[in-house]
Amino acid sequence: MNEFELIEGLKNGDETAFRYLVTTYQDRIYNTVIGIVQNAEDAEDVAQEVFIQVFRSIHSFKGESKLSTWMYRIATTRSLDLLRSRKSKKRFGFIQRLFGDGTEPLYELPDFNHPGVELDKKENAAKLFKAISQLPENQKIAFTLHKLEDLSYQEVSEVMNTTVAAVESLMHRARLNLRKLLEKESG
Amino acid sequence: MKQNNKIEEMLSSLDGCSKATAPDFFYTRLKARMDKQSAPAPQSWVMRPAFAIVAIVAVLLINAIVLLRQTKTTDNPVVSDTDTYQSVAMEYSLNDNTTPYELIADK
Repeated sequence: MNEFELIEGLKNGDETAFRYLVTTYQDRIYNTVIGIVQNAEDAEDVAQEVFIQVFRSIHSFKGESKLSTWMYRIATTRSLDLLRSRKSKKRFGFIQRLFGDGTEPLYELPDFNHPGVELDKKENAAKLFKAISQLPENQKIAFTLHKLEDLSYQEVSEVMNTTVAAVESLMHRARLNLRKLLEKESG
Repeated sequence: MKQNNKIEEMLSSLDGCSKATAPDFFYTRLKARMDKQSAPAPQSWVMRPAFAIVAIVAVLLINAIVLLRQTKTTDNPVVSDTDTYQSVAMEYSLNDNTTPYELIADK
């Protein structure tokens, strides 16, 4: 099924087309999301939401970009939404703990172990992911898409709706910031 | 120098990282979630037809009771209108045939 047929099938609500879409893109979307949200359960949840959104809003897809670009854009947006929601729950949780009985859940996630990292690099990778989680949103997205999803600067710029030069700048600043954060962490 | 190498090692820990794959039965769970979302939501008890009928009947009943009570009060007045006028007239001496001008003239 080529992209045109796939889009037409989705617009007609064809389940075969939807199944094909999910099986073709699920790994890419999941890998992108898990790199940003750094939690497997949340990543599956968000990935599902991405496909649901694609299915429901396919009629608004104008074909100005590739379908994959559009989907990566939805995935990164949804992932950032989750991170923001976690942050506000954390703030509210602090207030709850002040007035509560101490049984409220903490919103601090444990160190993240990406399933694809080589065994001997897991410890270092966990520290790097912790530093990535502290990057500004744009740098986080650019770094994740390029390093984890192997997108070229050109592809990253299309997803982020910006220029290649802007992506280069984001990557440069991301590396500088990561270095500072890792140095601070190492003491 | 040693710390620099350590930082470099951390920064390059994602080199050669293979991509994460979606969990097994991802499509099955996704489809189940979408089917659940598109199933009609159970109606709140307030929206049920039986509740609406009972509410209308109750309002009509209350209206009927109030109307009946009003009607009873109109049929058996405690005091007639004529009695009311008479008592007001007596209070303000309006029953007398003398006018205020005649009263002043008498003086």
